[in-house]
Order: sequence, then structure tokens, then C-alpha cells
Amino acid sequence: MASKGLCQERNNTENEESEIVPDFEPGASLESMLVTTDSFEELEQEMDSSFDERQMKESTTSTISEIQEELHDTTIPEDSSSDQDDKLIENDEVEEVASQLSETSLTSNEEGNTAATPVGSLPEEEYWQNPEWKERKKHVFILSAAGKPIYSRYGSEDKLVTIFGVMQALVSFVQTNQDTIRSIHAGNSKFVFLIKGPIILVSVSRTTESVSQLVLQLTYVYNQIVSVLTSSQLTRIYEQRRNYDLRRLLAGAERLIDHLLNFMEREPAFLLGAVKCLPLTPSVRDSITQTIVQTCGKIKNLVFGILLAKNQLITLVRMKKYFIHPADLHLIFNLVNSSESFKAAESWTPICLPKFDSRFLHGHVSYLSDDCQACLLLLTVDRDVFFTLSEAKQKIVEKLRRGNCLEAINESVNRASYTASQVGVPEMRHFLYKCRSTAQFWSPALEPPYHVTEESERLLGLYQALHHRLHAASRPLKLLHQQLEKETMLGWVTSGFELYITFEPLVTKHSAINAVNKLLRWIKKEEDRLFILNAPTF
Amino acid sequence: MTSKSEINLQNFYVYNSAFGQSDGEEDKKILFYYPPKTDFDTQMKNVGLSEAIVKFTDTFSSDQLCEALHTQKSRQLYYQAEGGFWMVMTVGIPFVTKVKDGTEYFEYQSDDVQDNVYLAVLRQSYQMFRLFKGSFTSILSNSRGDVIHLKHKLDHFFSRYLLTLKLNHSDILDIFQGIQFLPLDKQTFLHVQCFVNLIEATFAQVKYTAFLYNDQLVWSGLEPEDMQVVYRYLVTSLLPAHLETELQGGSMPRHPSSPFLSSHYGRFVTGPANLQDASGGTGKVPKVYVNNDATPEIYHLVVYRALSATVCLFIEGSLHLNLDLFKRLDIFLGPQLTTLVSEVAEQCGRQAAGINANSLDPSPKFVYFNKLNLAQKSTVHLDSRRTGNVAVTPEVLRLLADINADKARMSTTGETILKTMTDYWVVGKVSNLREFYVVIHQKNANLIEINDEVKRLSDSQLKSIFFHD
Repeated sequence: MASKGLCQERNNTENEESEIVPDFEPGASLESMLVTTDSFEELEQEMDSSFDERQMKESTTSTISEIQEELHDTTIPEDSSSDQDDKLIENDEVEEVASQLSETSLTSNEEGNTAATPVGSLPEEEYWQNPEWKERKKHVFILSAAGKPIYSRYGSEDKLVTIFGVMQALVSFVQTNQDTIRSIHAGNSKFVFLIKGPIILVSVSRTTESVSQLVLQLTYVYNQIVSVLTSSQLTRIYEQRRNYDLRRLLAGAERLIDHLLNFMEREPAFLLGAVKCLPLTPSVRDSITQTIVQTCGKIKNLVFGILLAKNQLITLVRMKKYFIHPADLHLIFNLVNSSESFKAAESWTPICLPKFDSRFLHGHVSYLSDDCQACLLLLTVDRDVFFTLSEAKQKIVEKLRRGNCLEAINESVNRASYTASQVGVPEMRHFLYKCRSTAQFWSPALEPPYHVTEESERLLGLYQALHHRLHAASRPLKLLHQQLEKETMLGWVTSGFELYITFEPLVTKHSAINAVNKLLRWIKKEEDRLFILNAPTF
Repeated sequence: MTSKSEINLQNFYVYNSAFGQSDGEEDKKILFYYPPKTDFDTQMKNVGLSEAIVKFTDTFSSDQLCEALHTQKSRQLYYQAEGGFWMVMTVGIPFVTKVKDGTEYFEYQSDDVQDNVYLAVLRQSYQMFRLFKGSFTSILSNSRGDVIHLKHKLDHFFSRYLLTLKLNHSDILDIFQGIQFLPLDKQTFLHVQCFVNLIEATFAQVKYTAFLYNDQLVWSGLEPEDMQVVYRYLVTSLLPAHLETELQGGSMPRHPSSPFLSSHYGRFVTGPANLQDASGGTGKVPKVYVNNDATPEIYHLVVYRALSATVCLFIEGSLHLNLDLFKRLDIFLGPQLTTLVSEVAEQCGRQAAGINANSLDPSPKFVYFNKLNLAQKSTVHLDSRRTGNVAVTPEVLRLLADINADKARMSTTGETILKTMTDYWVVGKVSNLREFYVVIHQKNANLIEINDEVKRLSDSQLKSIFFHD
């Protein structure tokens, strides 16, 4: 496809656009297993109040019903079946789900522990006098439209009743003017509001993130709640009882939300709306994929088979016609990360993928084996196939072991990732490369000075600022080159890919352009290890 | 797609919570509210919301003042002009009508309204009020705490001022509030300075003087912070209005006193229209308050114009101006100014060659601002009236303000180069307190070429501007 461009080795290094043939797109493939929309654009549309009603209506075309119909070869009359199905998921069943989740999350996870522990039994004023609490970089609050506290990232939400009342009052006052509050700005603090039906989410942030990026994060948090409860359930609860205390149902989900917030502050995947893959030789990946396809091929209602390790995708097999949205995959990563219990034993858990469908899928979740840190998720529409999937998993592990794939996975997980310096451009410190047609991205390991948490967070902040300007809704850009205090940042958006590079601050324009060319060629060379270039189906 | 709606002023109010503390007297905290016909309940509700927002942001970060409230349909800017006195301005966000799935809906373009630009507009409105009426605290102390006086002055000023706001044409120049200087050769500059010194020596009542040619400043004795506000008043309000009347009056009139006197072209812009006619009085001469941060001083602003030159005389505010003074000023200023003007005009003519600014010219456009002396120059804007006569698209103008907003992350030196979807390249360079923005519209250019072009432009343009620092 693009090999022509590479062979034209011109000496003219000046014009970066003519050197790289327009359709040069490392990592591109004709098929994609991920939904490739611009998440920020989606957000803008969702936020338009005139679409609120559409969202809250039960979608008459449920993807899950579609799948079930096809499998049973009968048309299930829409209204009756959906009613039945949903009646079965009564409030108490949902509470069962919630307690299941809380069990899986009860085992402690070292990361983010301090964030989740409530601050003793301080009366509210003491929070306001506690400078440490006030000066947290990002507070996240969730409350019901009636002002009832649901969640606070730091501190115990039941001690913050007054501030929740204020937030609810601000929201409803603006609503009486037939308007919707979006954000408040004071110096470098931003107060961002997101209203999703009966829930209000608020972020109080001192970071350099833009309002739309903060709204994206709040949307993820909301989707996390939905993935535990389903959105139809959520609306129904509040329709029945405006004062319902949602915390009863969210007992387990709090930990998921805490983890998700920390996850979003470290991972560029959320910003890019893309997924990173574990580097593997194509033959190994193919044999893993084929193993899953062959073993599960006969299982009728399996929608997705996902194998992941260390927050990277090893393979994704899907039912024909259906795709998974990167945002849903991110929630799956978060689920796997938040619970140690999946490592101990196989689990059977309901999972709602908000972008896929408003109802529950059921997932068999387990790690491949004690000596392999890859996690396998088999997602199905059928509630009663635990044992079938359990058997299937055993078979898969056996075959993979025989084919030495487990070793290959371990080797890739344990091996130190490529670093930017291996590309061979000395002034380049780090980069993010996203292939737009497949919603996959790749980035090298962090090297000094970014190996420290503070610096890696600052680096993500730089990428966020760059991304924000390039993708601004009303004035998007093709190219942005910024010489800042400690770095020079370069962002380039084409129809095929997005490239964000961190250089040392005094890099010349010539070096920057040469770096871009060299990097793109390097990625192309490595593309079949770094990206999944096909979209396998059952 | 249907055309966009405009950025309109929805409301504007000034309040101080300290005045409405006691029960039954809450209404006293509203010092000014526009539109005036708004019913009292709505006024109280809006002020109440603002107080709540300020308090809310204060609880989380007491060191950072509330600046803006973004809603889907409007933008509300906040400015604490003086301790406890909050000014709030709400503007409507432009929207376009779109159709999706058969239904029409409004899409609000919130990116079109930039906080840094409209905060500057709000700040400027306070500065202009303070120029003509003095600061809030000084008005209150002069009336011994009686709020009614302050309310009257606010009403008198803002009910007129708000009608002159051109919100759809606010842009980065509002953030700078800079002054266009006229670079002159040493000789002519010294002549101007001598002239000014002579005025001040002859007329002891004149404490400060400013000299302008067209809309460019040659000399000012005022502090830059005060001069920038006076300059904006002259260039966007007083002089354009005066020129209108001049044009309507036909050809440039000679001095009406006597056809036998060697005539000059001078006349008062603020002052008596007819020096012979005592019944006409001394005309409307505004009073201005300067040096407000230290000890405020009041001056009469007498503006005198001959051909394209304007002289501003700041005369002791405590004095009573009589016709005799104006006559003497006229006799002194008229002839000398007329001669001086021709000298300046000649110099200008020489320099103007080569600066070709019209909207069809494809050469690079630039904007320059130096915070130290408030010097500003723009070939992006084709005149100083701020009525939208610009050589670039509105999108590009907003990108300039975006780059300015990013300045905080750049420390003392930095540079941004960007390329839009329509092949506009915009470069912003910041160096110490100077900002230089270049706009180049060129297809098929690359980073290196643009970089070179900007280097060439800054060498040629900035050299001559630095000359008169």
C-alpha cells in the first residue's frame, strides 16, 4: 500500500508532507474490530439537551435483543420480551449484582488505597479547614438530581452534604432559565458539571486539562456506573423514588470508580480514544487468536472473546457484525485492574458495556494460569453458560501451553518495552502514535526525566493540552508546534493517523521534521508487532 | 447552513454584598443593573446566583478569583473591580440552526466566545468608568458613604457606555489594550517634544500633554496605565465622532475668526465650537481621573485638532475654564500646530511607502504588542475603529487569542506555530514581555519555509519598532 513512499528515498528532507505519501498509515488495516469515532465529537452531540430525551428513552433497537433474535431464529416481540427481561432484573437482583462486585473488589489493591479510605468521622467544616483535602488536584463528586450524595473521590460523601446541596442548587437554578450549566472558571481551577439524566457529576480540577477532557472523564465515570447498573435500571430507579440512595447499589462500584479516576490520570489511552496492543510476533498472535476461534466457534451466544495483559490487548475475537468501542474496552481494563480476585479463581459476572448496549452481557473472567498474567474474558448474552465457558477456557489454556504461546506472552509482558531512543532520534524524548482507522495506538516506555510519577503526569498534561488545541471543535488544526519551557511539543493530525511528539526544548525545525519521517518509517517497520492488523471473528 | 446569531449583551450588573446585609435591605447591594427594565425579582435572583458562584469557587480556592461561568447558551464574566465590588457581564453564545434526523435544533458555538477576550472587555469597561467618574471607593468617600451617588454615576455612565460595545468584534487587541505609536525620525520627534514643552511652560495650568497624529501616539506625559484608557477613548469614540461631523460639514473650514488673519486649521474637539460667540459657552469638556491607584487627580480634558494632528491638554481640574483661556490656547496652538503637522505628515509619507495593508494582499499579516510600553501594531486590523475591518478570518483572530492564552505555559520565551485546516499558518512568538503574531495564508508551505518567512518579517518590522523604545 504505502511501500512506494518508502522507496522514494529523496534527499529533499524539507517538505515533510511530500516525503510521506498521503496515504502512508502505519498500523492501518482494511478491517477494524474497534469502533472508530472521535470521542470528543460524540460527547458534544450527547451534551446537546435536545438529545436528552432520545437517550433516556429505552432504545428500541437493543443490540442484545438483535443477537438473541438471530440465535433463536425467531422474532421476539420487542415490548414483551424487553419488559420481561427487565422485570427479572428487579432491584434486589441488582443489589445481588452489586454485592457480587463488592466481593470481588474487597481484596485490597495497593494502588489508590489512600484515596478510597474515608477521612474518619470528621464533621464537614473540618474538610474545609483541611488544606490537604482542599488542595487535591482533582475532586470528583457525584450526586443525584435531588442533591443526595452518591460519591466523593476524597473524603466521605456523607460528610459533605452542604456542598452537594450547593452544587445541586447551582444546577437547578440554571435549569430554570432553560439553560444547562457547563463549567465555572477561577484562575487555574475548573469546576465542570455533567448532568446525565438523574445523576449530576462534578469535577473540581486544578490540572491543565480542558473542560471537554474533564467532561470526557466524568462521562467515563458515569459509564462505569452504568456498566454496573445499566442505564435503563438507573432511570427507572429514580423515576420510582426520587430520593433513592444510590449508594446501596454502588457499594462495589466505588472502588471501580476510584481506580478508574487514577487510571485516567496516567494513561493516554483515554485521551486518544484508542487501545494499545501487547507487542507480539504475528505468528504467535495468530495462533492465539485461532485457538480461541476454534475452541469457541461452536458456542452459540458468545459475543466477544478478549485476551489482555498489563493494560494491553493481546487479541479480540468478535461475533460477526458487532464491534466494540474503545471506551468499553477501557472499562474492561479497569475492571480487571481493580480486582485481585480474578487472579484467584474464575468469575462469572454481569457486565454492561454502555456503548454496546444498555443491558447486561455476562462474562467469564479468569487469568490464563498461575504462571501467566494474561486475563481472558468471554462475553455472552446467555446467562446460563458458565460451565460451557469454563470448559472452553481450560481447552484454550491447554492448547496455548502446547503451542508455547503462554511463554511468548510472558516474555513480551516481562520484557522492557521499546523506548523512544531505540528509534534513533536523539532529540525525541517520547511520542504517541494513533492509527485512526483501527483506533489503536502505541507509545514507548517512559525514560528519564519522565520516569518519576510527577513528571509523567506533567507529560500527560502536555499531551492533553496539545490534543485539545488540535481537536478543538470549532477551530481544529492540522499541525501544532509549541516551544515551551521544558519541552517542544509537536502534534500532527492527518486523515490516517495522529502523531504527538515530545522533543527537547531547543530542537530545530529541521531536526523535528527529520524525526517525524524517521519515526513513521520505524513504526511502519514494526507495525505487525505493535498493532493488530486484522479483525478476527467467530 | 443558516447564518449565525450574534454575540449579544444579555445583562450587566455591579453589586457589593456588603451593602445588603441587613434584612429588608438586600436590594441595596445591587448598584447597577442592565437592562434597566428587568423586573426586580429577576435582578435579585441573578445577583444571588453570582454571589453563590463566587462563594462556591472561594471555598475551594480562596486565592483564585472567579472569572467565568459557562452555560450552554451564555457566558458570564466576573471581575472584582475593587474590594467587594463585583462586576458581572453576561453575553449570549452564538448558535446555528442544524437539522438532524429531520428535526431542527440549535447548536451553540461556545468556542466562539473566548474568556480572555471578554474578561478584557469587562475590565476595560471598569477602567473607562474610572477614567470619567473616579474609582468606586473614592466616589463613596466623597459622598461620605452615601450609596445613591455611586448608583447615579454608574447609571449615568454605563447606560450610555454599554450601547457602544461592539461585542462581535472583540478580539486579541482588547486583551492588549495597547497604543499605536508613530515612529518618527529624531528631528521631527524633538520638534514635537519642544512644542509640548512650550505649551506647558506657557500655560501653567496644563499639567500633562499628549500628541497624536491620526490615530497614532507621538508623545504622552501621562502614565501608560492612564494613557491606554484615554487613547482608547480618543481613537474609538471621540475622534471618529468628531471626524463624522467634520465630513458632514463639507470641506475643511479655516479658522472662522477673520479671513485676514494668517489662517490655521485648528479647532477644539472638546471645547467651544465658536470662539467668537460667548453665548455658546465653553462647550462640553470632560473631566478625567488619573493616577487612580495612588492619589487620584482630576483634569479637564481639552482636545485640540489641526488637520490630522490632535493635542490633548490635561488642565487642572479645580480651575474654572473660561472662554478667554480657550482663545489664548487657540492663538498659541493653531499656527504652530499647523506647521508642525505638515512636517510630521511629510515624515509619515516617507515611511508609509512599502506598508501595504488591504484585505486582498496575500503577504503575511502581523500583530505586535510590547507590554512594557504598551506599544501595539497590527496589519491584521485595517483600521483602529474595531468594527470588524480585518484582513483575516474570524477563526484566525480567535486562534491569536488562543495562543495568547497559552502564554502562561511558556515562561519568558516561547513560540507556537500552527496550521489550520484551510492552510492558514499562524505563528506566535513570545519574548520577555513582547508578543509577535504572524498570519500567512499559503497552500503547500512547510514548517521550514514558514519559519524563514517569520524570521524575515520580524527582522524588518521589529527593528523599526524597537528604535523608539
